[in-house]
Amino acid sequence: MNTVDASEHYELGATDLAPSLLTIVIDTNPHAWDILEESLPLSKAIANILVFINAHLACNYANEIAVVASHTHKAAWLYPSQTLSHSTDQDGDISMSTDTTPQPNKYRPFRIVEDQVTRNLKELMESTTPDHLRGNTSTMLAGALTLALSHINRRTIAWAEEHGGANPDDAPAEGTAPSNRYSASNEDEKLQSRILIVSVSGSSDSAHQYIPVMNSIFACQRLHIPIDVCKLSGDAVFLQQACDATKGVYMSLAEPRGLLQYLMMAFLPDQRSRRHLVLPTRVDVDFRAACFCHRRVVDVGFVCSICLSIFCEPPPGSECLTCGTHLDAGNYNSKPALLPRKKKKKKKVNGASGAGTPISVSTPGS
Amino acid sequence: MASATSRPLEYLEGLPGTTFYKLYQQPSTALAIFRRMLPDLAKCFVMALLYQKDPLPTADLEIWVSSDSKKERDNAISILGRLHVLSTTLTGENVRAYVLTNPFAASLRQALMGAEDSQSFGMFSRAPEHLQTSVADLDEYARQQWEGVMGYMVGTSAFSGQRETVNLSKGVKQLLQAGHLVELRGNRVDITKDGFGFVLQDVNTQVWHILILYVESAEAIGMDSVEVLSFLFLLSSLELGQSYDKSHLTPNQTRTLADLTDFGIVYQNDADPTRFYPTRLATTLTSDSSALSNPVTGSLTGPAGQTGGSGSGFIIIETNYRLYAYTSSPLQISLISLFTNLKYRFPNLVTGKITRQSVRRAIEMGITADQIISYLLSHAHPQLRKHSAAQPSNKGVPASILPPTVTDQIRLWQLERDRLRATAGFLFKDFTSLAEYQAPCQYAAEIGVLVWKSDRKRMFFVTRHEQVAMYLRNQKAGGR
Repeated sequence: MNTVDASEHYELGATDLAPSLLTIVIDTNPHAWDILEESLPLSKAIANILVFINAHLACNYANEIAVVASHTHKAAWLYPSQTLSHSTDQDGDISMSTDTTPQPNKYRPFRIVEDQVTRNLKELMESTTPDHLRGNTSTMLAGALTLALSHINRRTIAWAEEHGGANPDDAPAEGTAPSNRYSASNEDEKLQSRILIVSVSGSSDSAHQYIPVMNSIFACQRLHIPIDVCKLSGDAVFLQQACDATKGVYMSLAEPRGLLQYLMMAFLPDQRSRRHLVLPTRVDVDFRAACFCHRRVVDVGFVCSICLSIFCEPPPGSECLTCGTHLDAGNYNSKPALLPRKKKKKKKVNGASGAGTPISVSTPGS
Repeated sequence: MASATSRPLEYLEGLPGTTFYKLYQQPSTALAIFRRMLPDLAKCFVMALLYQKDPLPTADLEIWVSSDSKKERDNAISILGRLHVLSTTLTGENVRAYVLTNPFAASLRQALMGAEDSQSFGMFSRAPEHLQTSVADLDEYARQQWEGVMGYMVGTSAFSGQRETVNLSKGVKQLLQAGHLVELRGNRVDITKDGFGFVLQDVNTQVWHILILYVESAEAIGMDSVEVLSFLFLLSSLELGQSYDKSHLTPNQTRTLADLTDFGIVYQNDADPTRFYPTRLATTLTSDSSALSNPVTGSLTGPAGQTGGSGSGFIIIETNYRLYAYTSSPLQISLISLFTNLKYRFPNLVTGKITRQSVRRAIEMGITADQIISYLLSHAHPQLRKHSAAQPSNKGVPASILPPTVTDQIRLWQLERDRLRATAGFLFKDFTSLAEYQAPCQYAAEIGVLVWKSDRKRMFFVTRHEQVAMYLRNQKAGGR
């Protein structure tokens, strides 16, 4: 009789484990890679990442991969490449000939990914002109993230349709309570997606994209897609927040040459394995935001009471730049009178049970 | 997972270490074993260790895994050890550490990076193709052959005369007999208890079952089992729809190829003897059972002739035990009739009812309740899946696809008959102190081999003793 109990009904259903889709966003900003040239040139990093991709594909027959390059002036697909149709004229012959050359020493799916990634990356680099680089030292992280998200969304719906496991009508969740609960309940049966950002650019460069980046982060949070960040140089404020919000892994590599080992150890486990592992987490996340007016990263700022937009200084004309509400900044910068309050506080502490009142806590130190 | 992976895993575990050494020389084998045989956590361990120069101290690995998942960790390490992938060494500071065994690690690295001239992933046929063989053709061929084998076992040709019978070679029939899946009684082919269990499994498990049988029988007729096995793993890494050159194969491999053609695992065109095509049965060998829900493999299990379409399921079962199967395949109908009282048959639909009587009949034939349930589950109609996906779950457990009342009742009907269960294993007894008894007993429970224990008698019973013995030895060494 022991074999018939509540836990056993579900045993069979849970065995059909969904594959995972890993989307890698590679920051290909030439300015940043130039700084890294000494320790880890781009070519070497790409070679390491390709081995990592193969390892991911090796884990499960149905695992999928997508690679996006976040370049200085645009975000581009490296794999799966979508510009295959236009290059049939000249590149058609080349791709045909690579197809027929026997390469028995490599598992074919691995080779296809490698070929496409290297070819597309080369094309991207060749199409980059000095004009693009002049005066633009940042990377199109927001665009790359959005591309990655749309790909994940498309694959999730397609996968659910193929397998009939989930209702495709429910898949594009609109954030309503029942659909959220639905997506949480069937975590194991959905396509397991996650995003890995290999980042090299500093935070000051991407501050001007603050709003789109944060929006994509919140989208990931809602869809339960973890964002992992592998930081090769510098330290980006928003990416720390991204990992923190989506429960991803954030690692700033002390030694970029060991990239492959870091990737294999910390970033390869998928969501299912992560439940069993202790992963590197950050305690000291930098939660600073960028202001909406000058895209500066601010410690202390002004917040519109209607739409919660952040400003580094009172907006011109006291009107919120986002929602247009007239704001009354009050007598900002005036020092509060301290003496009478001190007296009041003492009295209160003696009188009441000693719990700190909100007034006494909120007094600024100066 | 148990039904899907255990059979090949059990067979491989039984092989001696030297066989593994030979097997792991091939990158394709290392990749296939890594992908197919290991649990998720074990894969993480392997990948973490793969590019590390120094062995990983055991304590570090223990820290890496969260404390709640001790059972999963021990299970993963146990499987890795049994497959001779992971071994323990002592580092310079005399600390016990894990390291990947060498031919395996080197081959897996080779598989990932692609290096050296191993020709491990098959030679494409370079000759221009005269006869184009499409993926659909291959699927059709695989389906036909595989259904032919199943039909031969169940004996469908007897009750549907209009079906074209697939010519099964003598080798296939002999193999089925050698595996005790069928018995020959005079002129009649009778399916055995094992055979009933076999036909109800999903295709992927069936293919593995047959292949293991094949490897076992290959040894008997003088072929090297390592060569056959590594060839099978090579097949699993080939690409569907591509033709491969036969001239690089050894005579034994060519012979294997011919035998596998009969099962529909590979396809050879009579007009062009220089090449062969792997079918989907071969290329999905290293995937999980989820390949079953793949639309085209679905045509193998689903209604005959209906390729494509979404999902492979065709069975709807209701809470009142009524069963509707949208199929016209004689094979599927005869399978369903094994445990159902069929009532009506329409051109594309059969209906029936699962009753106590019909389930008892099936169980008397040697079919287990789990087999019936897993058959129903793997062929569940997309509508059923959709329904369960839309159901709110309780406490994070997803709603089951089949009605729980039905699955429970099928199990209860089996329990009415089954009161004893035999498990082969080893008894540990005569512990001097309670503490000495408790530690290994707990360890056995953690690695999942414990079957029974009695605290009063200080005895416990396990299915596998090697690791418990190892544990006891380590304890002894540590104690002194």
